[in-house]
Amino acid sequence: MSSSHTVAVLLDEDLLTFNRVIGVVRRRNLPVAGITVGPSGRPGQLRLTFLVTTDDANAERLLRQLEKAHGVREAQVRATTSPAVPQPSEALP
Amino acid sequence: MSEILTGAQILCCELEAAGIDVIFGYPGGAIMPFYHALPEYPGLRHVLVRHEQAAAHAADGYARASGRVGVCVATSGPGATNLVTGLATAHMDSSPVLAITGQVGRPMIGRDAFQETDIIGVTLPITKYNHLVQDVTELADRVREAIAIAQEGRPGPVLLDVPKDVQNQRAPYNPPTRPVGGPVAARPIRPLEEGVAEAARLIAEAERPLLMIGHGVILSAAYNEVRALAERTGIPVITTLLGISAFPEAHPLHLGMPGMHGEVHVNRAIQHADLIVGIGLRFDDRVTGNLAAFAPQAKIVHIELDPSEIGKNVKVALGIVGDAREVTGRLVRAVQPRQCTAWREEIQGFMRPRVESYSGDLSPEAILGAIYEATGGRCTIVTDVGQHQMWVAKHYPYQRANTHITSGGLGAMGFAVPAAMGVHLARPGEVVWAISGDGGFQMNMAEIASMVQEGLSVKMAIFNNGYLGMVRQWQQFFHEKRYSCTPIWSPDYVKLAAAYGIAGWRVEKRDELEAAVREANAERGPALVEFVIAQDANVYPMIPPGGSLSEPIEAQPAATPAS
Repeated sequence: MSSSHTVAVLLDEDLLTFNRVIGVVRRRNLPVAGITVGPSGRPGQLRLTFLVTTDDANAERLLRQLEKAHGVREAQVRATTSPAVPQPSEALP
Repeated sequence: MSEILTGAQILCCELEAAGIDVIFGYPGGAIMPFYHALPEYPGLRHVLVRHEQAAAHAADGYARASGRVGVCVATSGPGATNLVTGLATAHMDSSPVLAITGQVGRPMIGRDAFQETDIIGVTLPITKYNHLVQDVTELADRVREAIAIAQEGRPGPVLLDVPKDVQNQRAPYNPPTRPVGGPVAARPIRPLEEGVAEAARLIAEAERPLLMIGHGVILSAAYNEVRALAERTGIPVITTLLGISAFPEAHPLHLGMPGMHGEVHVNRAIQHADLIVGIGLRFDDRVTGNLAAFAPQAKIVHIELDPSEIGKNVKVALGIVGDAREVTGRLVRAVQPRQCTAWREEIQGFMRPRVESYSGDLSPEAILGAIYEATGGRCTIVTDVGQHQMWVAKHYPYQRANTHITSGGLGAMGFAVPAAMGVHLARPGEVVWAISGDGGFQMNMAEIASMVQEGLSVKMAIFNNGYLGMVRQWQQFFHEKRYSCTPIWSPDYVKLAAAYGIAGWRVEKRDELEAAVREANAERGPALVEFVIAQDANVYPMIPPGGSLSEPIEAQPAATPAS
């Protein structure tokens, strides 16, 4: 079942690594939202976070592939929230 | 003591220091400083190709045959983009290739200069690592890093983009004082001992176990360990396309290749198995067919160096991250001796007498048999992509380790001829046969000129059926026999051979076969043999794309007789 996973990636602060990481995420062709990137508090490293809506197994696969990318120091799911159960009035026909 | 060298000289020094002895390349504007320096380094043999794609495939073939890094060099722009198919092939098949590309000078980058391409951006998804060298002072370190990354863990291609002015820059240079590279341990999912003990327990409990082995066994040279595991436990062995030649074909425990064109008894064994121990493979869709119906009764133990492969395609009961040789060696010591007599008899019952699908006089099996006889099995076979590739995979009786080289994951037509040049240079004392269809051969046949110029004795076999045969087969089975754009004209290959000054044969009849193959094999230089085979030859059995391994097409569909 799909959930919303908050993925946090610690990566080297250079554009090529950033580009590589975004490429890994894009290639999985999963719905991604809320992309933010900023300082990690560690010199020379950025923190990238985003929300990905998918099942737990896919989120795990994504982490393994992110960890493989050159320049990635750490990748983890920070939080997982199940999608709200749609109310009858909101349900799709 | 350091000396002052140009960036181009530093590149050459670093390649020599890394033990590189051959590079495949093509000069051009942005890589000219490198080519200017190259004659000062006679230890670096340069092979001039006719298209940069061939340089990448040749470097890949060299890497697969030697176990060392293969190197290809190209200029910026079109030179660099022509490498792409070869790098993607190496990426899919885990082959350590270093590509060095020239780039326009740093002041011109990003201004759409002549022959400027963002090759770093282009190759990001098909390299393990790539880097635009910013200054000569970082060049030596980046070369060492790139070569190390190409080889460490799961191997793969890397690319260094070196601006022309960086190649001309001068800097003090110190040769490396210790060998560069070396494997880096993969992050374990669980302690190795615990995983091995659990795998041994699952093997002991299983009634219908299988070993399924892939390219990882060849990459780590785990031949003896896999054989010992099979013989100690009696578990039958399945070899994936890239696992072929990791286990002797004639061994009584060898079953064959699984998947889309796997033999019926192999796929049926998978569907009946209660345990599959996969070593160094990635459970590709051509192996599994419909994932939901793959091995429905089996627990899967996956031994693999790359953690991201475990659980990627199939759900595993146990994943063990590690080198195939090390983990399998430990597993051999952990398992209790057993036999799988009843299970092996059950699999024997799945075997079908092969329906001779070939209507003509000159069957693929006969051709491959003739090559085996002429070489005494002492050769490396490099295949292209398509029907001939599957015939070789199914019928060539490989007995020696790592003697089957093909483009598996990417399935790049045009691979065989240039890759065989690399194999020849990696194994100069052995015969190499490049086997292609008439489609794939015509993609890179210009490389005959490279063979002649460089004295590369590659034997080329062309299976000519006048069609893009595998696509034609799909059209026959799945596209209403509408043979759209698959008939393909060929030149007179014997005259083509003559034009290049090499020996050539055309074999149309069975009784011409042995003599032609024998003579071609005995030629001192390159040789070409065209085999004119039936147009409607198909590869059987076949699992329809997306279909279950339980539902093969075993012969010409009754409703669609051969036309």
